[in-house]
Amino acid sequence: MSNSILSGVKVIELATMVSGPYCGKLLGDLGADVVKVESPRGDPARECGPFPKTGADREKSALFLYVNTSKRGIVLDVEKPEGLDVLKRLIKWADVLIDNHSPKYLEGLGLPWKEVSSLNPALIYTSITPYGRTGPRANEDGDELTLIQAGGIGYLLPTRSEDISRPPVKMGGYAVGYYGALAAAVATMAALLLRRKTGKGQLIDISLQEVILAHVRGIAGARYHGVPWNRVPAVPPVMGRMKTSDGYILVAPFENHQWKAFVELMGNPEWVSGPEWDSMFYRGQHMFEIAPQIQDWMLRQKKEDLYHRGAQKGIPMGPINTVKDVLESQQYAARGYFVEVEHPKAGKYKYPGWPYQMSTTPARVSRPAPLLGQHNQEVLCSVLSYSEEEYQHLQRLGVINPLPEDRR
Amino acid sequence: MLPLEGIRVADFTWVWAGPYAAMVLATFGAEVIKVEGHKRPDMIRRGITGWRMRDDPTAIEVTVVPSTGFHALNMSKKSVTLDLVTPEGRELARRLAVMSDVVMDNMRPGAMAALGLGYEDLRKLRPDIIVLSSSSHGQKGPCSRYEGFATIHQSIGGQSYLIGYPDDGPSPGPNDTDIMNATTTAFIIMAAIYHREQTGEGQFIDFSQCEGVTSLIGEAILGYQMNGVIPERMGNAHPKYAPHNLYRCWGVDRWIAIEVHSDGEFAVLARAMGKPELASDPRFATVEARKKNEAELDRIIEGWTRWRSLERLEDELRQAGLRVAMCQDYRDLYADPHLRARGAFVAIDAPVMGKLELVGVPWKMSDCKPVFKPAPILGEHNDYVLKELLGLSQAEIEELRKKEVIL
Repeated sequence: MSNSILSGVKVIELATMVSGPYCGKLLGDLGADVVKVESPRGDPARECGPFPKTGADREKSALFLYVNTSKRGIVLDVEKPEGLDVLKRLIKWADVLIDNHSPKYLEGLGLPWKEVSSLNPALIYTSITPYGRTGPRANEDGDELTLIQAGGIGYLLPTRSEDISRPPVKMGGYAVGYYGALAAAVATMAALLLRRKTGKGQLIDISLQEVILAHVRGIAGARYHGVPWNRVPAVPPVMGRMKTSDGYILVAPFENHQWKAFVELMGNPEWVSGPEWDSMFYRGQHMFEIAPQIQDWMLRQKKEDLYHRGAQKGIPMGPINTVKDVLESQQYAARGYFVEVEHPKAGKYKYPGWPYQMSTTPARVSRPAPLLGQHNQEVLCSVLSYSEEEYQHLQRLGVINPLPEDRR
Repeated sequence: MLPLEGIRVADFTWVWAGPYAAMVLATFGAEVIKVEGHKRPDMIRRGITGWRMRDDPTAIEVTVVPSTGFHALNMSKKSVTLDLVTPEGRELARRLAVMSDVVMDNMRPGAMAALGLGYEDLRKLRPDIIVLSSSSHGQKGPCSRYEGFATIHQSIGGQSYLIGYPDDGPSPGPNDTDIMNATTTAFIIMAAIYHREQTGEGQFIDFSQCEGVTSLIGEAILGYQMNGVIPERMGNAHPKYAPHNLYRCWGVDRWIAIEVHSDGEFAVLARAMGKPELASDPRFATVEARKKNEAELDRIIEGWTRWRSLERLEDELRQAGLRVAMCQDYRDLYADPHLRARGAFVAIDAPVMGKLELVGVPWKMSDCKPVFKPAPILGEHNDYVLKELLGLSQAEIEELRKKEVIL
C-alpha cells in the first residue's frame, strides 16, 4: 500500500504562472502523477525570477522552480494538428485537467468543455479564470493588481493607512494566484471524492475575483451594520504594528491579562500606573495618548528578542518577518518545515514545505521542477505509447521542441 | 449526491480559521457538529465580527443568536453545547468524537489531549479517525505555545512585510490569512478522507498557520537564497510593466486599477485618453521606457482619470479590452453585476435578523450544488445530538441541564 494519498491520480496541467501550477504542485506533492504541458516558449513564470546573480535563465526562475515541483514536463505546440492530437490523448489518459487559460483558448482549439467531456466522461476539468466562465466579464483578463481590487481585499490595504488621499495597494507577491490555487485544489479534491461514488467527472469553474471576495466573507456583513469599512482605522492605530530598533513587530494585548503582561514587559512605567488603564474600554479610547511613550520604549528593543519575551508571557505578538528572518526561524527548523530540493540546473535550495504534517501520508517533493521539455520522450512513449518512430516524427515537425532561449 | 455525504465532523474550532474550514466541509455535504461550551461560546457569535470590547457599554450583548459574521463562517452546521470543564461534558464529547470521521480543533497545542480528546485517546477507540489540530505554530517546537491570530501569522510567515507603500511600514491584510488557512485546512482534510476511503487508514494532521503563509511566498524564499536580496514593498508597482497602478477618479475615495503590459495595450489606453501621441512619445513608446518614466506617466494618467466617474471609466476601458478594475468596497461588491450574475452571494433566512445575503463559496461545480443553511443558534441541535446520536433519555438530558453541562 502506497503512503501517497494521490498515487495513481493522473493530472494534466495546461497552466501558466501561479494559480494553475500551484494547484498542480499541491496535488503532485501528495503523490499525483502530474504532467505539465508547456508551449514551445515555456511557462512565462520561467521569465519572472527572482534569478541568481548570474542573471535570467529559464531554468533558474525561483517562481517557476517553486510552484512546479513533483511534476513531469513536456513541450507541446497545440496550434499544430499533431500537437492537438497529443493533447487529446493526454485528455483521455488523465483524471484531472487543470487549465488557467481563458475559456476561449480550448474552445478555439475545438475543445470546448462538452468535447473534452465526451473524450473522457470521467475527467475532472478544473478551470481557473480571472472572472469565471460565465457572466458579463467571462472573457476579460485580470491579474494581481486588478483582481485584488475587483474582489474587495484591495480597498482595505494598507489596513493601517493614516492618509485616505493615498491609493489602496495590492498584496505583495502572487497572493491572488496562490489563493486561487488553494480554492481550485479544494474543489478538485471534492470532485475526486464524488467521482469515487459516481464514476463521473465534472467542470469546476473558479473565478479568481470570487476567491478574493471569499477572503472578506467574515466582514462583508458590514452591509447590515453600517460600520466603517476602510483602510483608515476608526481610531488612531496605536498597538498593532510598531517599530523596533531593527524592524517592525505586531503587538496586540487587547485582553486585560495581556495588557497587564505587556505593562510588566515594559517595566511597569509610571505613565500607565493609573487604575483607569485596567479598563479595556478606556484603553480603546485613550491609547493614542501614550503612543509616543510606547513607541519610544519599543525603539530600544530588538524585534525577535522582544517577540519571545512577550509571547512567553502570553501576549499575542509577532515580528513582521523578512524572508531572511523566515529562513532563520528556529520554530520552522524545529518542525523541519523547509525541504531541500536539488535541481539539475539551478542547484540546491531550501523550499517551503507544507503547513500540514500528516502522520500517515506526509507530503513530499518527488522531483524538482522539470526542465523545458525534459520528459517529452518519457511521457509520449511510456505514458501515451507513441512509438520511437512517431516520436521522432513529432520532433521533426517541431511539435514538441522548445524554442531556443535566444529566439524567445 | 454530495462528495462528503455520510461523513460526520466533530468541530471543536472557533473564531475564523477553524470554523470556515469546517463550514467548507458542511457545504460539501458533511454533517458538521459544532461543539461549544455555552459559558464560553465562539466569540464570533457576538457583534459583527466578534471583536467587541468586553466592557464597552455600547457593545452588543453575547447572544445565542448568530451574528452576520458567525453566519458567514458557520453556515450549514449543527450546534451542540457541552461544557468541557465538567467530566460529563468531556465524556459526551469523547463519545461524539469517536462517532465522527473527522475531529477538528484550533485550541492551544495540548489542550485537546488534556481534555482526553487528543488523537492518541481517540484512535484507541476509533483507529481510522482523522484528527486535525490547527494552531499558530504547530504542535511541537520552541514557539508552539505562543498565541496568535491572522495578522500575526501573516507577519511571522513573511507576507505582511511585502504589503504597503515603499516609503512606509508594512501592513497585514484584513484577516484574509484566516480564510486562506481555512481553505488549506479543508483541502488537506478532504485529501485525508480520500486516503481513508482508499485504504481505511486514519491519521493525525498537525497544521501550522504561520507556515500556511510562508508556503505562499516560495519564490521570495528561494530568491533570497539565490541572490541575497530581501524583497521589499512595491506598493502597486510591477517589476517590469507600467502603467500599473491605482488612479484617482471623481468622487470620494474612488480608484481605478489599470495594468498595461504590451505596447499595443498602451496604444489603446492612449487613444482612450484622447492622447494617441503618447504611444509614440519616446518617453513611453516601449516597455522599458514606460517603466523608466513611470512617475511621469502616472501623473498624466491621473490628470485624466480624476475628472471621470469610476463606473463609466471602467466600463469604457473594459470595452476597449484593457485589464482594468474598480477598486470595490463592500457596497460595490454587493452591487457588482458580474458577481450577481454568477450567484456569488447566497441568501439565507437567519433567525431574528431575517433574510441575509452572504458570500458563498468560490467554486462553481457542474455536478455538485453546495449546501447553504443558516448557522445554528447555540445548542440548536442538542436534542438531535444527545438523544439520536448519543442515545440519552429526556431525564438524563434534564439532569445535564441542571448541572449546567449543556444549555
